[in-house]
Amino acid sequence: MTDGPNDPWFGCLPPCEAHVPCGQGRHIVRWEAGTLRLLSHPDTEGELVLAALGGEKARCVEVAEAWARHTGDLSMLTVGPRGPADEIPLSWDEVDAAAQSSGRVPVPPGPSRAAPMRLASPSIPTSARAQAQRQRVEQEMARTAQRRNDILSLLALGYGFQVRLIGQVAEAHASPPEDQLARVRPPLATAISARLAPVAEEWIGIDPDQVVVSLHRGPGWGSVELAGRGEQRRLLVSLPGGWLGRVWAAGLALAGRHLVVAVQRAGWPDARVLALRAPGTEPVPLDVHASQESPASGGLDVQPGARDAPHWDV
Amino acid sequence: MNREGAETYLRLLAEAMMRGSLAPAQGPPWAKGPDGGRARVTVAGLALTAVGAVDVETAEDILSDFDLAVNVRQLHGLAGRGAAGTAPPGTAPPGTAPLRAALSGTVPPGMVLPGTVPPGTVPPAIGPPAGTVSAAAMARLTARIRSGRSLGPLTRAGRLAGSWPAESRGWPDPDPAGPGPADRFIPVGLRVPFHDEGISGELYLMSFAQTGSGARFIAAWGNRALPPQYQMGLPYPDLIPLELFAVTDDRGARYDLAFTPGGGPEWISEISVRPVPPDDVRWLDVTAPGGPAVRVGLEQQAPAAGEEPEVTAAKLSPGEHLLIMLADRLLTVAPEAGRDWRRRRPVMSPGLLQAAAAGLGDIVAALEAADVLPPLSPVPARLAALCASLGIGGHGITVAPAHDLPERWLSLLAHYQRRKPDMAQIRDGYAAVAAALPELDGIRLALLGLDNTEGSSSLHMLATGITPADHPGPLGVDLDFPLSLWLRDSGGRWHAARAAGWHRAGGERALRLKLVPPLPRSAAWIEVLAGGQSAEVRTRLPLRWGYPA
Repeated sequence: MTDGPNDPWFGCLPPCEAHVPCGQGRHIVRWEAGTLRLLSHPDTEGELVLAALGGEKARCVEVAEAWARHTGDLSMLTVGPRGPADEIPLSWDEVDAAAQSSGRVPVPPGPSRAAPMRLASPSIPTSARAQAQRQRVEQEMARTAQRRNDILSLLALGYGFQVRLIGQVAEAHASPPEDQLARVRPPLATAISARLAPVAEEWIGIDPDQVVVSLHRGPGWGSVELAGRGEQRRLLVSLPGGWLGRVWAAGLALAGRHLVVAVQRAGWPDARVLALRAPGTEPVPLDVHASQESPASGGLDVQPGARDAPHWDV
Repeated sequence: MNREGAETYLRLLAEAMMRGSLAPAQGPPWAKGPDGGRARVTVAGLALTAVGAVDVETAEDILSDFDLAVNVRQLHGLAGRGAAGTAPPGTAPPGTAPLRAALSGTVPPGMVLPGTVPPGTVPPAIGPPAGTVSAAAMARLTARIRSGRSLGPLTRAGRLAGSWPAESRGWPDPDPAGPGPADRFIPVGLRVPFHDEGISGELYLMSFAQTGSGARFIAAWGNRALPPQYQMGLPYPDLIPLELFAVTDDRGARYDLAFTPGGGPEWISEISVRPVPPDDVRWLDVTAPGGPAVRVGLEQQAPAAGEEPEVTAAKLSPGEHLLIMLADRLLTVAPEAGRDWRRRRPVMSPGLLQAAAAGLGDIVAALEAADVLPPLSPVPARLAALCASLGIGGHGITVAPAHDLPERWLSLLAHYQRRKPDMAQIRDGYAAVAAALPELDGIRLALLGLDNTEGSSSLHMLATGITPADHPGPLGVDLDFPLSLWLRDSGGRWHAARAAGWHRAGGERALRLKLVPPLPRSAAWIEVLAGGQSAEVRTRLPLRWGYPA
């Protein structure tokens, strides 16, 4: 049987670490079992309280907050990488430069504590409306800038974190309630299509533009079939939204010239998957073993890149 | 309507464009790189929002995510080259995608669609700043003085007040009052000469319209003699002393006249009549200073048997209707694409028409994905044939061109394909014509007059029921006038109408529609064909021409 919806989606993903410039040094941020951990900040809650009281917020804490804000953000599926060939190698210097060019805009929590006291003056409705409008615009600009800085910071963590975040976002929306289906299906189907298309090209040599993906719902793993000929040839794929987190994010999409459609028994570095040898065939169980060329941690400039992604062999 | 299919299509198109933008660039300039991809996504997004298949916010989010995805992939390495954090040229900053201002994304970089505002530029002011007259205005003024033409704004108020171009948008109709069953629209066709203290000229009353928003004449005016202060740029009295005009009805009641700033040529004006005459008034006598009384009959004559407007069910899908408006747009902008565009068949180089048609294939596919364009609809094939006839390549429509184009399209194409279609001079003139059309897709239209001015023909209309769009249509389609409107003249030639300006008139909109090609003065009557999604209306109207003295 495939792993069920109650099994953790990250069963085939090993821990992953990155160094983040924080204060005067570089601190390790670690992803493990679906959770982001700040190894150099054991009392994150306390630091947040201090920051709320006016203290400076540590970069690591900012990154963790950004992560938390975007684990359900469907935009990450569009922004994030499509595969190892689509690495987004942002450095922290580039993140800082981008933030400076747009001006670092603080989170708009409400009225600024630093605002000087003013004497009360008669209310002028027009002026008040203009001020309210200006505040709305400023808040919107602040939100936009913060969102951009968030996303750039998350991308700077490296490919390993990027794919894990995509997995987490996909998992968060894999089984939406009925009234959310229409909102979730288009971005999720597009996200699978974006990542399956290059895999399919490598698998059977089909043009990525000829891959048509729909979301599978209900029991079973879905379907993968070829239809048409020549320019009209299409690879019709139906997979559940969870495929992104459980299979693709783990680097399992293609194993031993098989397209992996589901994980039967999750694990690291050994797992059992359901995989197709060719379109239109029944999936077969495969035992796979993972290896990594280099560890995803160590050194002062660790940023897990695409080359660190695990490679699975049958 | 399949909204989910529409959104999925738009997202997949963005994904394909992003995949393409990361590959080595090929194809024409507007199809290359992120700019080209963004333009295609924008055009498809505008089409889907135009038919209501995707809401504006969703389309903006998709475009915003596309920008962000492209930009983060191009950000790497820029810091070291001293351009840290700046978006690559031509791409929008991450997180911003104002679809409502996205015309900049609908055309290739550096190109301007005919009849639209250039991307990234602020539309020019409608008139000179209050209290000043621009050099261009002075030159125009001088030219008209020399030619004996009318001089522009009629009153100081009219001179300083603005009108609104067709591109203006965003003001909701405040009052649904407008043309209704009790309204009257009377063709007039009378001259009212005037003379007063060095100023002389005449008003040509084209029509009288009385609706819930008020009563007004649509008039053209001209001056034969002007005060010397005018030529010296000094303060001068109003060019038409309307306050000296006397208006009385058949019961002796008196009325005042006042100019309303118009949206068209300055010498075509709306003159409001206050107070509104009672419904049973049979005529008005208009007496100008130094002139005789001119009697304007206000009794509406019922159309003769067989001349009532003919309404035919159209049952177009929203997608078909949008494609028809796109075809109208292509046909009406063709003359603005340059004098030599006709010689470029088959097309070897990109041009403005190509820009206007780029993305048509994406629009067709998007509309099909949204289930608002039937797979067997003949309209895409007709659009493909139209593009072929206009010498437009790269439109992306995959179906084979049709052989059965509508008669009106063929008429206009035949006009364009004549060797010297632009050579026939159109004499300035004004045609008295007035009629209310049956309601079409919730819009009520009334024709109020025609004018030929400086080689261009304009149709003046009053409209109610138009819902202002808060975003532009694809490829320059004007969503504020969501109808296809054509005229057939008594010589059998068709003329397409394109919204060229409008201004609010109470709860109504006074529209000026430019006719392509201009209407010849030999036209004794016109057949008006207004096409909506649900139906089309035809009505034949006689023209009573008047010419400037």
